[in-house]
Amino acid sequence: MPDQEKEKAPVAATAPVETPAKPAAESEASQTFFGEPLVGLNPSELNGSLIVIEGMDGSGRSTQIALLQEWLESEGFSVVTSGLRRSNLVGRDIDELLAKNAVTRLTLALMYATDFFDQLEHRIVPALRSGSIVLADRFIFTLIARGVVRGINRDYLTGLYAMALRPHLTFWLNVRPETAFAREFKKAQAISYWEAGRDMSLSHDLYWSFVRYQTMIKRELESMAKRNAFIELDGEASVSAVNKQLRQRIAEQLGIRLSKYTPSSALAHLWR
Amino acid sequence: MDNQETIVKAPPRAEPAKTTLPQPGRPVPSRAYPGALIVVEGTDGSGKSTQLYLLKRWLEIGGYRLHFTEWNSSPLVKSATRRGKQKRLLTPTTFSLLHAADFADRCERQIMPLLQGDYLVLADRYIYTAFARDAARGCSHRWLRNLYRFAPVPDITFYFRAPLEVAVDRILSGRPKLKYYEAGMDLGLSYERPESFKLFQARILEEYDKMVDTDNFVVLDGTLPVNKLQKQMRDIVASKIDLKRFAPRAPEAE
Repeated sequence: MPDQEKEKAPVAATAPVETPAKPAAESEASQTFFGEPLVGLNPSELNGSLIVIEGMDGSGRSTQIALLQEWLESEGFSVVTSGLRRSNLVGRDIDELLAKNAVTRLTLALMYATDFFDQLEHRIVPALRSGSIVLADRFIFTLIARGVVRGINRDYLTGLYAMALRPHLTFWLNVRPETAFAREFKKAQAISYWEAGRDMSLSHDLYWSFVRYQTMIKRELESMAKRNAFIELDGEASVSAVNKQLRQRIAEQLGIRLSKYTPSSALAHLWR
Repeated sequence: MDNQETIVKAPPRAEPAKTTLPQPGRPVPSRAYPGALIVVEGTDGSGKSTQLYLLKRWLEIGGYRLHFTEWNSSPLVKSATRRGKQKRLLTPTTFSLLHAADFADRCERQIMPLLQGDYLVLADRYIYTAFARDAARGCSHRWLRNLYRFAPVPDITFYFRAPLEVAVDRILSGRPKLKYYEAGMDLGLSYERPESFKLFQARILEEYDKMVDTDNFVVLDGTLPVNKLQKQMRDIVASKIDLKRFAPRAPEAE
């Protein structure tokens, strides 16, 4: 009986596989995705722009994203933002796991991957389909770096994110960990457990733990910078100077003229 | 008497070298730990859970050191899975990732430590469930194989094979209503749940069949009487696994 069934199986298994069409489809996929296509997504449907800002905590990412959103909207573009732990599916679950610190590194990495793909499929892709601009507050690069410094195999992580979309622009706000520490501490009068990488037992001293951890992350991002065409900006420069460089590159990408921009009163406090 | 003899003959416990400890995201060398892993796989309604339960009873009654683990049992991602299913937020990719996160938790905190601690681990469904089901949903094989690369390779994988009609009948007769994802409704195969379920199960069966050779499945005929199947299963376990190693240790003679 089982043998009979086994013999029948291969016949049923001949699913339509279009071998001749593959090479062309694959090269198109490699431009759109890092490795392989996302299930059920046709890249030709996407006509928006995906703009990523990477950088450690305290590098000025969120400030710049708030300003860019205002600028782009004033230019008449529709803007959607994404970021870590913001998915409807598992965003809150990750918060809870982090708060309880009751999770192993691999599980946490996979929960972050779930969070990423949920936002990719339910937020980023629909926005790009409708021609919006997506401003992503960090992307797979930070997620890969965090995993690698915790001893997770690099190829494993790149394989995991193989279906991530390639951004049109990836900015990297580079700051020294010491500067970032000062900024973060000033903001909240505290440094969180995870921001300082305290799960890694690098130092009992909060400051040194932060500096060592962020230096490791920074090294990982450096190693990814060239292959992924990071646009490195000096995150230690003034907010307005960094913002101007960002707007220049984005305007170029969108094919619009770079106009003057000063933030509205709502955001004026960020402009220092 | 018999007992004492086995103790004399028992091989020294393998001392796993430090370098072979599992690393997340790296393939686990098959002999990196002293324990053993027995897995049952098969479509819903193939009879695998009943058989594993009987195997477990047999080993328990014999006093062997064992632990039983189920697919999808960790509380960690339960709320997320429930929310995702209720609101139908899950896509093939996130469905797969959530289950991988769940499995990683169980693997890192339960399965690996038990294998390292010289236990016989019995698993009702394992990574092959994800390979079959997620591939049936359209995830690529390459991506799935990478995703579960950290999982230890089983010593025996029993694959309970039942013809599609038998398995589907067993499930449909025992269940008032099929759930959305269970029936594979997210694939849009059919508007009717039972019909969609059948088509989805056929795809899963196809995927399982592909793994028989690549993953060394021991194929068992799920249509055989329960006690006959159990006899086959026990014989195979006894011949492939050195069960003495998991037998209760008699107090040291000295």
